[in-house]
Amino acid sequence: MVGAGMTRFVRRAQETGKELSAIAARAALESAGIGLDRVDAVCLGSAPDAFDGVHRKGDYLADGAGAWGKPFLRAYVGGGTGVFTPIQGWYTVASGMADVVLCVAEEKMSSCQPHPQGAFLTIFDNVIERPLGPNLLWIFALEMNRYMSTYGLDKRDIASVAVKNKRNAADHPAALLGQADITTDDVLASEVLAWPVQRLDVSPISDGAVALVLAAEDVAATLTDRPVWIQGVGWNLDTTYWTNRDLVYPEYVEHAARMAYDMAGVTEPRKQIHVAEPYDPFDYKELHHLEGLLLFDKGMAPEAARDGVTARDGDLPCCPSGGLLGVGNPIAAAGLMKIAELFWQLRGEAGARQVPGTPERGLAQAWGDLMQVGTVVVMGTDGGPATTATATTPPLAPTATSLSDPEFLTASGAVDTAFDGRYRWDPGAAAGAFLDGLREGRIRATTCSACGRILVPPRAFCERCFRPTDGWADVADTGSVETFSLCRITWDMRQLDDPEIPAVIRLDGTSEGGFLHLLGDVDPDDVRIGMRVEAVWRPEGEREGSILDIAHFRPAAQDAGP
Amino acid sequence: MTDDRRIDGTLPVAFRYTPGLGNGAFFASLRDEGTFVGSRCSSCDVTYLPARVFCERCLAELRPDTTCGPGGTLTSWTTLHVDVDDEPLPAPERYGLVRLDGADTVLLHRLLPEDGWDPAIGDRVVPVLRSDREGRIGDLEGFSRAAG
Repeated sequence: MVGAGMTRFVRRAQETGKELSAIAARAALESAGIGLDRVDAVCLGSAPDAFDGVHRKGDYLADGAGAWGKPFLRAYVGGGTGVFTPIQGWYTVASGMADVVLCVAEEKMSSCQPHPQGAFLTIFDNVIERPLGPNLLWIFALEMNRYMSTYGLDKRDIASVAVKNKRNAADHPAALLGQADITTDDVLASEVLAWPVQRLDVSPISDGAVALVLAAEDVAATLTDRPVWIQGVGWNLDTTYWTNRDLVYPEYVEHAARMAYDMAGVTEPRKQIHVAEPYDPFDYKELHHLEGLLLFDKGMAPEAARDGVTARDGDLPCCPSGGLLGVGNPIAAAGLMKIAELFWQLRGEAGARQVPGTPERGLAQAWGDLMQVGTVVVMGTDGGPATTATATTPPLAPTATSLSDPEFLTASGAVDTAFDGRYRWDPGAAAGAFLDGLREGRIRATTCSACGRILVPPRAFCERCFRPTDGWADVADTGSVETFSLCRITWDMRQLDDPEIPAVIRLDGTSEGGFLHLLGDVDPDDVRIGMRVEAVWRPEGEREGSILDIAHFRPAAQDAGP
Repeated sequence: MTDDRRIDGTLPVAFRYTPGLGNGAFFASLRDEGTFVGSRCSSCDVTYLPARVFCERCLAELRPDTTCGPGGTLTSWTTLHVDVDDEPLPAPERYGLVRLDGADTVLLHRLLPEDGWDPAIGDRVVPVLRSDREGRIGDLEGFSRAAG
């Protein structure tokens, strides 16, 4: 890596996505000391088209990313995209196809109205889950609660991550939410969105772009005496049947990390990684990921955060940039920002953000899609001359024009349009039979005789054995609560009068995991993990072959208490 | 059974697109001066219209510094007979690509109806501007055939 640049991250940019991309790409080229004529190929990362509201966003962004007349491809793996983009760049160079690659990541989320969460609604299974009315915060809240409950974590320790990152971001010239004086009490006092997730646990909707220049080894030597090397890359996807997994540990992140560590020759990551930029869209996610990255024992990262181990001057500085929580979260750009931060840290150019000592190796990680993607890059100086570690002026004067809400709403020449995307989804064979079963008051599972799993939601194939499922079994309409949330807001951030109680319920008779439904007939204060519950069916004549044929789950009769 | 199993749903998003810096400068001059401002990249010898803040060929920073038109040349055109839902239009509509004088790029816009005009590539055209301009592409009603 021989250059990096970025825009300022803002809530609402006046610039178009192309213009943001061009600002970042030009800054990266200037940082590398080359012109666009030296670039052989361009790799772009950007998250769903529905954020910017531009179908085929990659093609749209191409000219702003410097791809005119060059080999170009946009990669997309959800929130993991930003850290995947340099992986794509790396193999484009390592394969010998290109000597110099420009990597650009962009997001302009402010375009999406009334709220970018609308674009996330279809990540849920349209047949089995979406009729329940899920929003994006549900999955984070459900995962966070499971994580906290399994290890008995103190929410104060988790909130310390938000404090650390927003304080770190106060030293980042591109940051949207840097705040030097924020306290844990501020985080714990912020509005509850979907318990246990509160407003300041969450990164902001943002616009921005980031770019890097990668070069082949022999070319890099001609461009700089301080290259930073991509030493290892890894990525991994788990199943989209997210409720079947134990949400307490991101195994896919571990698999991605092991792939990157193996390539980098890292055998003792806790000693050999000197600075880390784990993915932090929510404060607990940084901790969750640090454990998946094998940098802390399971359940131990929160305590380390509380004790300052992950502070900028701690033993393992984490998110010295300020991360997504502080710098901002224009999805793909935020991931690539982490790579740019490592570039500056390892070259000793991070200015006020510089971690002490002489870091020789760093790690960046991102995460995304339906709780299922891990992307990891290990970077280092190979102990070479890159590590000057002197306090230099950051090579960064980021621009982007921030519009206030009124300025955005009255911007001259702005155009409003509704997407008007309407769909009709067929449930397919397995889920269709499942829905027919619900009409009859049965919960049906498919079975895989190769791995022995009994699967709800049912599917026509076993994603692990990659063979057709070969049987059906009825499972009980009773089970236990694996995790739950008290959600107080709708997807477009309107307050609910009464909280919804989404839960992952492990049905008796299934082999693993659970499925998503709502709890009812219960005081929200009485809900707990492990609680026994039973289905409340709609009257037989009113069932429609829908997940809503189960009205909700309620505390099981034998668990109703004295 | 199959039909009533189908699940209807939406992707409930709408968008508000800001014109950005380049289009913003273009719209402002269109609204205030009735002129068409573009950007010239001297190193690539290309003039973009509408104005841009970067050159797509070299990524150089550009400014809205070159007024183009108002006259232009038709570089291609089409006549639409159906709408996006494939329904017949009340009357056929013509759209053209117009290279304004001084620009290297073309604008897509309506060709205004005119008896006796069978458009041909190479036709000289002039813009027809609205009097109540707001700083948007609709400030330009379309192009008509140049006199003479």
